[in-house]
Amino acid sequence: MRRIVMGLAAAGVIAGSLTGVQTANAAQPSNATPSTPHNSPPIITALDCYGTTGNMGCGPGFFWRDGWRGWACYPC
Amino acid sequence: MNPRLLGGLTAALFSAGLTLGAGLAAAQPNDYTALIIDPNVVTDSQAYTAGTPTLNPGGQPGATTVFTHRDGGRTITDTVWVLADPAAASSAINQAQGSTAIANQKLASAAVGSGGQLITGTSPDGTQSLSVLYFTEGNAASAIQFAGPAADPVPSDLVIEMGQKQDALIKSQLGT
Repeated sequence: MRRIVMGLAAAGVIAGSLTGVQTANAAQPSNATPSTPHNSPPIITALDCYGTTGNMGCGPGFFWRDGWRGWACYPC
Repeated sequence: MNPRLLGGLTAALFSAGLTLGAGLAAAQPNDYTALIIDPNVVTDSQAYTAGTPTLNPGGQPGATTVFTHRDGGRTITDTVWVLADPAAASSAINQAQGSTAIANQKLASAAVGSGGQLITGTSPDGTQSLSVLYFTEGNAASAIQFAGPAADPVPSDLVIEMGQKQDALIKSQLGT
């Protein structure tokens, strides 16, 4: 009986370790390119020169500075 | 209409005309500083400070004023000559173009006055951007020069807008 129990225990340990190997391998990325949903347009967030959506009411692509027209919104 | 009222209005208009004429005539002879447009009309209204006007630049009747941006790195030099006739005005423009050194020149026509031309480029040493707008209006000739950082030339739309305001001022003052 004792020999049977020891045998079952040993088999369990081996099976458990094999299962762990499979799990560890599964965690490794097999492909560097993440999967993305197809047929969806890219998400674009308009930002100004400083990475925000505008200062002093300047829209995307413009920023507030003291230039030829004095203080005003100028293109980046 | 009451003839007396009509007569009064006529007299008032005549008097006003005389007063306006006297106002222009009362200015110093050949003092054309009133023809110089202030660039602050196309800015945030405080960006430029006017220097002391120079009369008769280059020995020709007219005026010139240098306006300096508060950042110290940009200037607008506005010059207006008032000459005998349109041919003399064109000649003055040709002379002014020949005497202004601009490297890497690009020439474009500009919708300002008569024969408007915009020359853009850099200073000969490459340290500044330079743009000069030339045009004539009747017997007047105008040159507006914009000097600034090499990496930040004056926008063409600002040049055109200021030139058109300069042209309108010449028309209103000289009646050309």
